[in-house]
Amino acid sequence: MPSDASTETRAMSMAEALRDAMAIAMRKDPAVFLLGEDIGVSGGFGGGFTVTLGLSDEFGHDRVMDTPIAENAIVGAAVGAAVVGMRPVAEMQYGDFVFLAMDQVVNQAAKVHYMTDGAMRAPLVLRLPVGATMRGAQHGQSSEAWFLHTPGVKVVCPSNPYDAKGLLLASIRDDNPVVFLEHKLLYGGKGGRKEKSSLDPVMDVPCGDYEVPIGSVAVRRTGADLTILANMLMLHRALGAAEELSGHGIDAEVIDMRCLMPLDMATVGESVKKTKRALIVEEDNLTGGWGAELAARIGEALFQCLEHPVRRVAAPDTPLPCAPALEREYVPSVERIVDVAREMLKG
Amino acid sequence: MIERVIMPDLGVTGSELTLVEWQAREGDFVAAGSPLFEVESDKGTHEVEAFQDGYLRKILAAEGTPVEIGSAVALMSETPDEPLDAEPLDATEADTATETPSHSLPTVGEVQRGATATEDLLVSGGTLSVEALRRMYERMVLIRRYEDHLYKLFLQGKVPGTLHQCQGQEGVAVGVCAGLRRDDVIFSTHRPVGHLLAKGASLEAITAEIWGKAAGCAGGKGGQMHLMDLSVGAMPSNAIVGANIPIATGSALGFKLSGSDRVAVSFFGDGASNAGAFHEGINLAAVKEAPVVFVCENNLYAASTHISLTSKVIDIAERAAAYGIPGVTVDGMDVIAVYHAAREAIERARSGGGPTLLEYKTYRYPGHSRGDPGNYRGDEELEAWRARDPIPKLGEQLVAEHGIQERELDDLGSRCQEQIEKAVEFAMQSPEPLPAACLGPIYAERERS
Repeated sequence: MPSDASTETRAMSMAEALRDAMAIAMRKDPAVFLLGEDIGVSGGFGGGFTVTLGLSDEFGHDRVMDTPIAENAIVGAAVGAAVVGMRPVAEMQYGDFVFLAMDQVVNQAAKVHYMTDGAMRAPLVLRLPVGATMRGAQHGQSSEAWFLHTPGVKVVCPSNPYDAKGLLLASIRDDNPVVFLEHKLLYGGKGGRKEKSSLDPVMDVPCGDYEVPIGSVAVRRTGADLTILANMLMLHRALGAAEELSGHGIDAEVIDMRCLMPLDMATVGESVKKTKRALIVEEDNLTGGWGAELAARIGEALFQCLEHPVRRVAAPDTPLPCAPALEREYVPSVERIVDVAREMLKG
Repeated sequence: MIERVIMPDLGVTGSELTLVEWQAREGDFVAAGSPLFEVESDKGTHEVEAFQDGYLRKILAAEGTPVEIGSAVALMSETPDEPLDAEPLDATEADTATETPSHSLPTVGEVQRGATATEDLLVSGGTLSVEALRRMYERMVLIRRYEDHLYKLFLQGKVPGTLHQCQGQEGVAVGVCAGLRRDDVIFSTHRPVGHLLAKGASLEAITAEIWGKAAGCAGGKGGQMHLMDLSVGAMPSNAIVGANIPIATGSALGFKLSGSDRVAVSFFGDGASNAGAFHEGINLAAVKEAPVVFVCENNLYAASTHISLTSKVIDIAERAAAYGIPGVTVDGMDVIAVYHAAREAIERARSGGGPTLLEYKTYRYPGHSRGDPGNYRGDEELEAWRARDPIPKLGEQLVAEHGIQERELDDLGSRCQEQIEKAVEFAMQSPEPLPAACLGPIYAERERS
C-alpha cells in the first residue's frame, strides 16, 4: 500500500477529501481519468456536488471529461476504457441515474472478468451521490443493495473524509469495478451548494497518499450491550443514538459498514458474539436491502450466540417522498434507532 | 457406415417435435444440405437438412408423429446397400459426455488452450494485391465452411447450447478486419464467428468454447455468444444488443488518452441501431472524436422482425448525420467494396479524424438462431441474396482476372475444411471444465501497488 512519508494533515470535508484522492491518483497514474456530467466545465460547478471542482484546471478537459447526459455511454465508455488498461472514474450526477446504465454495470463491468475466465479485468470506479435531501424519489435513494446482488462489483460507502480519501484511492487502484457511494449530506459543500440539514463532517486528513483497505468495516464506538451496524449518514445517526442510549444505561457498540462487498464478517461476527444483539440501520428500503443480507449472515453464523432476533431500522418499502415532513418520517432517525435498541434490551 | 439421423434440438419449448413430412423416400440419395424432413415447432415449420451425403435407408419416425428430441428418426448409409444391422453410430455418444471429470484430468490452469491462431489478415496499402485477395477469399471460405460444419454437427445433436450463425455476412467481417492491425480491437456480437475468425482468432480455442470445454477461449464461462482472442485484439463478443457501442467508444477514448494510434471497431446489426446505447455511444464518440469505427451489418432482420417494421430510416448510415460524422452505405456482399470503405474509416479514426458509421447491406442465410426456420422471409428474397454471395463473386474474379486456377481455390477450401475438422476434433476431445471452476474468478487480484 502506498503511503507518503509526509505526516502533514489538513482539515478536509468529504468533497475535498474525494477531490484530493482523485488528484493524487491522476498525478501518479496517467491511466486514471474522470468522466461524467458537468464535472470539468470551466466556470461550472465540479459535478453535482463540487467534488471535481478545479480538477480540470490541473488535468485538462481530456482527463476530466465532460460527457453528454448519457449514463449508458458514461459507464459503457468506462468499461471499454478499463478493459484496455485505463482506470476511469465515472460519476453519476445523482446515484439514481445509474439505473439508466444498469446493463453496463451488471451485464458488462461486473461480468467481464468472470466471463473471460480471468483474462480481462475492468478496473473502474462508479461514483454515486446518494441519500435523501428533499429532492424526492428520483434524486435521493440509496442503492447499495442493487450492487450487492451483482457478483463481480465491490461496494464501498464511506462516512467520513479520512475513509473517503483512502477508500477512493484504494478503489481507483483496485482491479475490479467498484461502486462508490457518497452521501450528499456528508459532502460539505461550497457556498450555495451546501445542503440543507447536512452534517458535513470535517476532519484532519493526511495530505499524502494512503489507502483504506476495501472489504473492511470499522468499529467506531465500543460497547457491551448491542452492536449497531450502519453506513454513511446512518452511521452518524447510530453514533448519536449510542450517546443517547448511554443515558439509559445501554452500552452500544457501533460499526461503520464502510464496505458492503466484500463483507467483513469477521469484524461483525466478533462484535455480535460479544454483545449478542445486532441492530442494523440503513437509509434504503427495508426489503431486500443490505441489512437483510447482513441479518441473514448473522443468523446463519451466530444464531446460537444471539439473545434477541436481529432487528433492522430502515426506510419503509415506498419510494422516497419529497416534503420535509414526510422525508423526516421516512429516513431512520436517532429516535427510531434508540427506541428499537431499547426494545431489544428490555427484559 | 450406418448413421442415425436424429430429431435436432431446435431450442423449442418441450421435449418433442412433430415430424410433418419426409422430403425423401427410403432408398433415395440425399446430398448434404438438402432437405430431409420437415418438422413443426412452436416457432413454425422447419426444414431439417441432411448433415452429409448418403442414402436414406430406413425411416423410423412416421409422418405426423411427435418425436423426442435427440432420438433417431431414420438411418442413413454412405452406400445404397450396406446391411442395416450394422451398429449405428450413436450421434450423442462420447462427444457430449456429461460425466464428472476424474481427478486424472488436467485442471483448467493446466489445460493447453487451443493456440493455433488463424493468421493475420491485415492487408497493407490501399491497393489489394492478388495475395491479399486470395487471403481474403480463403478467410471467407474458412468462416463459411466452419459455420456450415457446425450446423451439420448441430443437426446431429453434437453441439451443446445455442448457435447464431453468419453465413452470408462473411464479406463484411473479412473486408473490415483486413483493414485492421493486429493491435486494433474489435467488439463483436452474439453472432461472432465471422468477426473472430476474420480478426485471426484461434480456431481451436473458440471451437472448444462453443463446446463448453476447459480449453475454450473463456474456459467455458462464455459460450457461443462470448468468443474472444485477446492476442489478436478480438475482445469478448457481447450478447446484449447495442452494448458494445459505448464500450468500443470507451476503448477508443482509452487509446486516444494514452497517446496510442490504435483503433476500435464495434460490429452490430440493424437491430442495435434502435437501441439507446447506439445513440449514446455514437454521440459520445463523435463529440470526443474517438478513434472508433461503427460497423452496422444491416441484414434487414432484427431476429425475425423486418427493418421496415422498426425504423423509418432504412439506410442506417443516414443516422450519422445526426451525430455530425460521416456515414456510408456500402454493398456488404462485395468484400472489396467493404474493405475500401472500412480502410478509409479506419485511417480516418487512426489519424484523429474521429468515428465513422459504416453500414453494410448484407444478409444472413440461416435463421436468427439454431431453432429459427426463417419463415418470415420468402424463398425468392433468400435466393436473390444468395445469388450475390460474396465468396463465389471473389472466387470468380480471382480466376478471371488474376490467373488463379479453380483447382487452387478448391485446394484452399479443402485445407480450410481440414483445419476446421481438426479444431472440432480438438474441442470434442478436450476435457470439461472442473465443476468447481464455476465459482470464479469473481474478483481480479490487484496487480499494481
